[in-house]
Amino acid sequence: MHILKDIDLHIGQGEAVGLIGPSGSGKSTLLMVMAGLERADSGSVRVAGVDLSAMREDALARFRGRNIGIVFQSFHLIPTMTAIENVAVPLELAGEPRAFALAQKELAAVGLAERLHHYPAQLSGGEQQRVALARALAADPSILLADEPTGNLDEATGRQIIDLLFAGHSKRGKTLILVTHDPALAARCGRVVRLRSGRIEEGREAVRA
Amino acid sequence: MNAHSGSAPMAASPPSWTLPLRFALRELRGGIRGFYVFIGCIALGVMAIAGIGSIAESLTGGLAREGRTILGGDVAFSLSQREIGEREGAFLAAYGTVSRAATLRAMARAAGGGSTLVELKAVDGAYPLYGTLSTEPSIALDQALAERDGAFGAVADPALLSRLDLRPGSRIDIGAARIEIRAGIVSEPDRLAGGIGFGPRLLISVAALHATGLVQPGSLVRWHYRVRLAGGGAGDGAVAAFVSEAERRWPEAGWEIRSRGNATPQLERNVERFTQYLTLVGLTALLVGGAGIANAVTSHIGRKRGTIATMKSFGATGYRVFAIYLTQVLLLAGIGAAIGLALGAALPFAVNHLFGRVLPLPIDPALKPGQLGFALLYGMLTALAFALWPLGRTHDIPASVLFRDDVDGAQRRPRLPYLLAAALATAALLTATIVLAYDRKIAAIFVAAAAATFVSLRLIALLIMGAARRLPHSRLAPVRLAVANIHRPGALTPTIVLSLGLGIALLVTIIEIDGNLRRQFAEALPEKAPSFFFVDIQSGEVDRLEHYLRAQVPGARIERVPMLRGRIVSARGVRADELKSSPDAAWALQGDRGITYASEIPDGSRVVAGEWWKADYSGPPLLSIEKKIAEGLGLGLGDEMTVNVLGRNVTATIANLRSVDWQSLGINFVLVFSPDTFRGAPHTYIATLAYPGSATASQEASLLKSVADAFPAVTSVRVKDALDSVAGIVANLIQAVRGASLITLLAAMAVLAGALAASHHHRVYDAVILKTLGATQRQLLTAYVVEYALLGAATATFGVAAGSAAGWLVVAQVMNLRYVWLIEPALITTLAAVAVTIAFGLVGTFGALNRKPGPVLRNL
Repeated sequence: MHILKDIDLHIGQGEAVGLIGPSGSGKSTLLMVMAGLERADSGSVRVAGVDLSAMREDALARFRGRNIGIVFQSFHLIPTMTAIENVAVPLELAGEPRAFALAQKELAAVGLAERLHHYPAQLSGGEQQRVALARALAADPSILLADEPTGNLDEATGRQIIDLLFAGHSKRGKTLILVTHDPALAARCGRVVRLRSGRIEEGREAVRA
Repeated sequence: MNAHSGSAPMAASPPSWTLPLRFALRELRGGIRGFYVFIGCIALGVMAIAGIGSIAESLTGGLAREGRTILGGDVAFSLSQREIGEREGAFLAAYGTVSRAATLRAMARAAGGGSTLVELKAVDGAYPLYGTLSTEPSIALDQALAERDGAFGAVADPALLSRLDLRPGSRIDIGAARIEIRAGIVSEPDRLAGGIGFGPRLLISVAALHATGLVQPGSLVRWHYRVRLAGGGAGDGAVAAFVSEAERRWPEAGWEIRSRGNATPQLERNVERFTQYLTLVGLTALLVGGAGIANAVTSHIGRKRGTIATMKSFGATGYRVFAIYLTQVLLLAGIGAAIGLALGAALPFAVNHLFGRVLPLPIDPALKPGQLGFALLYGMLTALAFALWPLGRTHDIPASVLFRDDVDGAQRRPRLPYLLAAALATAALLTATIVLAYDRKIAAIFVAAAAATFVSLRLIALLIMGAARRLPHSRLAPVRLAVANIHRPGALTPTIVLSLGLGIALLVTIIEIDGNLRRQFAEALPEKAPSFFFVDIQSGEVDRLEHYLRAQVPGARIERVPMLRGRIVSARGVRADELKSSPDAAWALQGDRGITYASEIPDGSRVVAGEWWKADYSGPPLLSIEKKIAEGLGLGLGDEMTVNVLGRNVTATIANLRSVDWQSLGINFVLVFSPDTFRGAPHTYIATLAYPGSATASQEASLLKSVADAFPAVTSVRVKDALDSVAGIVANLIQAVRGASLITLLAAMAVLAGALAASHHHRVYDAVILKTLGATQRQLLTAYVVEYALLGAATATFGVAAGSAAGWLVVAQVMNLRYVWLIEPALITTLAAVAVTIAFGLVGTFGALNRKPGPVLRNL
């Protein structure tokens, strides 16, 4: 079964793109393809100048570790690790000797300097998502992927997360790709790509914000 | 699509090798819930192997440490039926202090009328050279044995005192001598060197022995000369030099020489052999536990799929993830092994503390690093062999499970490197089992049987699941539900079949061996088996005894055969100690054997090769030898064998081979010579008596007493008593096997319980959904009972078949005994095991039945 069809999309460095569409339209699948978590059956996928379709699993994993940070709808923090350990994971995996110092800095940046040694279960949903955001930014990737990051949060908390996400984009120059079904949220991105039944309905061409 | 980024990738220093350990430890911080069965399985198996090995080494250590005490000297010379010559005596005395002792069986007759067989030991004033003989009441040995008021003194095993109702001061008769009991024996330092006795010990002086008149030419007395080397603590070199000088100077002395280093070679061999059997039982526990290990790792990995996927989306490679979880499994296995090692290492101390005083063997409890090392090796290899396969699956858990669940991925076969690693660990485990074994052939059979059992149980699980899938849909909802539970993906079937199948197979094996051994000693006495053996019958007395017996028991079947003691010196020109022999035949070369001569083929024997000699044959000595022993020693027709009888070497040519029915319990000898061979040599007779019908215990007791009174020098052995004392030893061995097997059964139950616990979540989910759809508790309960009963019945059938086959293999092939299939106890046990399984399963699911759907559904 083909979930995505005739996708031809170019996203420039530093762009912020909102991916919207109804359930089952292929938003998350497209995100996974961009992150190298899922392979396209045909065509080519180039991220950060590298052709992902030619890479093996392990190479993809290392590539992700260096270039891509992901924020999930349901946080996916590792329950047996504290906040700082969760944030340090990508740094440790990349062999960064200052992993914990950098992780602490990222947590402070999202306002969790006092929560370093709490386990996910001891944090509120909003705090968990902030840890997840700190983790996504920790290895200083060039691309930030967010899959409905506010889907499991109340409105006010969700707004905080979105502000932090856009701050990462604008202040640190990250390319941001945000999956959402909230048109208002998508509108905050410089460009909106609308998907329906696996095809791009609008937003194929880059628009200068 | 082309997302472009100009920022340079972060400078990455090489990943630290400690990362897997750090990550593994972080995950374990949350506790080891879900790993209790895993740790328990490793701990049980390692404890069994470490404990068995440590106890055995403590025993052999004790035997070695106590070598000279057990032997009664630094070097001991023993010979049958005669004392050493003067020149040999002078030779021994030149090396140190010599103590002389004699052992023989005799009848003790109490004044009150009772009589019983005793193991008589006569000692001189120098006894004991090492160790102390302690008595109750405590008196000096020379006082205890001295002649006083017309009676020689004696100290006796308390068993004798209670059997004949004696107390210090009581008098008994041995042969022609009057003996006064002065004390009971608390401990006899050199008891073990004598081997298994058929009666209680009675210790008297050499002078008393001569007064009994039992020492006649040809009587079955064994003389022992123990030497304590001069100069106090003589080194092992001095001992060896003494032994080789004795062998060189007196090549034809016909004595058996033992030094303190091998005081009880037979016992040590038996300890080692028995240890191996127990070790195999311990290994079975580990292997059964292996199923629990595999289950625990599989469900652990299942729970960690989210974590693994998260790590992968942040740059962890497949090998990285594998390394993290392998480290975790090794840490947990290490915890289990440490617990097992601690318990196993403590076992010899516990045994010594609890049973040291009543144990018939000296035990030298100490930490045995070698044994603990083996146990650790077995434990870790088992963990690896069973964990690597499920661990290998972590490599390919995709990061995309964070976005959507993929159901079938959990059961995928891991990549080739992991399969190879699992195969390598299994091969290492099997190799270690075989290479480290005392008897490699038996270990190899064990390995093959274990592999066959595992493969069969796996196939049976597949068959059951396949059959359940094809079964026509039942109209009864509970049955349909039960059948679906048996074959759905991730069903419990393989685990239940494996643990229950192994458990039942093991139980049935033990029951079959146990029951068959008991039968051998209790019911299985052959029809024509004699009730009595009479030994030490002097030539002049033999006719009178036969008449007496015929008068006492009209219609009795009486056999009598001349008997001498002799030891094989050489065969085919090769010295006995250099002769290669199969393990089955080695006993024929050890020490003295009873030998006889005959003009006719003995009853119970059949010539299978060569020809029996003519009744009036009077040429050079000919020999008839038992076929299996001949084969074991590599001997055939026409080969020559030299036997030392009463200090004289006799060489005979093998004329024929016989097969012997040992279980008839008749008088059977391995070596039968032609009639003229021992002409002129003094010898005694051995006779058997079989009642015409069956005899009651009181009939046998009164015959025993009247023969003892009428023929004080003849020793009567009641066959039932002799068998009872052997049966007692066998019963003790069976206890040890049962103890070790219990550990395996515990492991099987832990695996079963673990599997049921792991499925609990699934059960609750099912129950709640079904209740929401209108299922009653009763329907659900019926479904569970039907499911477990179906599984239990199918598995039990295999267990009974495999267990019976294993029982037959051990009883008929290894022990060479007649096998009777004891179906009833096997079936009863099996039914009980299935009932326990159903109960286990229901306890696990009962909670599920009572759950209110609401809260569960909200938390799904």
